[in-house]
Amino acid sequence: MYSALRWPGRVGALWRALIWVRSTGLLVLALQRVSHRYLLHRAQRGWSAETLVLRILIALARRSIAILTKCDVAELVDVGQGVYLSDRGFLILGPERIGGGTLIHERVTIGVRAGDPGRPVIGENVWIGPDCIIYGNVSVGNGATVLPGSVVSMNVPAGAVISGNPATIVRRGFDNTALRRTLGTDIVRPSMVLE
Amino acid sequence: MSGIWDAVLADLHRCVSESETSKRRVLSTVWNEMGLQAVLLYRFGQWLCASWKRILLWPVLPFGWVMYALGALVVRRGYGIRLSLSADIGPGFWVGHFGGVEVVNCRLGERCSVGQQTKVGSAQDVEGPLVGNGVWIGAHARIMGPVRVGNGATIAPGARVTKNVPERALVVGDPGRVVFRGYDNTQILPRA
Repeated sequence: MYSALRWPGRVGALWRALIWVRSTGLLVLALQRVSHRYLLHRAQRGWSAETLVLRILIALARRSIAILTKCDVAELVDVGQGVYLSDRGFLILGPERIGGGTLIHERVTIGVRAGDPGRPVIGENVWIGPDCIIYGNVSVGNGATVLPGSVVSMNVPAGAVISGNPATIVRRGFDNTALRRTLGTDIVRPSMVLE
Repeated sequence: MSGIWDAVLADLHRCVSESETSKRRVLSTVWNEMGLQAVLLYRFGQWLCASWKRILLWPVLPFGWVMYALGALVVRRGYGIRLSLSADIGPGFWVGHFGGVEVVNCRLGERCSVGQQTKVGSAQDVEGPLVGNGVWIGAHARIMGPVRVGNGATIAPGARVTKNVPERALVVGDPGRVVFRGYDNTQILPRA
């Protein structure tokens, strides 16, 4: 799944190993899954010598990955299957849930509004462009497209395209399957989407 | 000297409230908060600049500058936080997450807060922004050029400030416009 998402058409053990070494987004995602599982495990078992040692190991790993990639994905985030995080880093993510098939580019912030504990919920198959901010107690619907540089603090309906700062809905019922296949390797201009 | 130590305490109390200050708590906070580490390093640089006049410290100062240069390299390349000594930052400064923070050639008042990907400053030979006390600057915000931001103003995430901002105003959008006057940001400032 991941290798197909990262570099389509390149399969095999060698390519897979290279992807694991080179792809910082995949490292961040793997560590987030481990620490999320640890959080659930600790909620069941409570504190013990084992969970304390794991806590220290995970904290050290998180700090080194943070310095390496400038990414911080909160432990409590429930990340779905087949999520793509950009390899260019600078991601600060703290939503409640990221749905499967979502694609997140570099320099994206998703988090709480200051002084309000409500966290955003990101649906499935969402395309989030670079330099986006999504904050507050909002939900982004399935298949939505958040164009680069958007600042979103309102609910986004499913299949909508939003753009601007502050963001507005520029189109409804857009199918972003082709857009998600580009994987950030191509430059996506708003005019390409709004045609 | 004492002024810088007071500033360090003010920076620390933005992360730990004064009532629950203990040695262990302070150490764990300094380890956890990358922004606080960057601010403490900036204060160390300020102390080095200020102690230039004390001749007794001259044999030690070169080592101090080497330490500062190494620390600044780690903070800038590792954390992505750049607090230049050309910026005059008041006591009680708080950096929210990490990554892409640049504070260069500007003046910030007391109890200011910045988020990640924030750019405050201007080119070296141009007059920089002048930011008042208790200003909250959200993530991805940009304050560039010779603008003035009044006391207690709030810059929303992603805003780009191009004009002067009055006191206690809420600025939103790109280009930034004042959407609300008399906005009270003491609720969202952590421990201000």
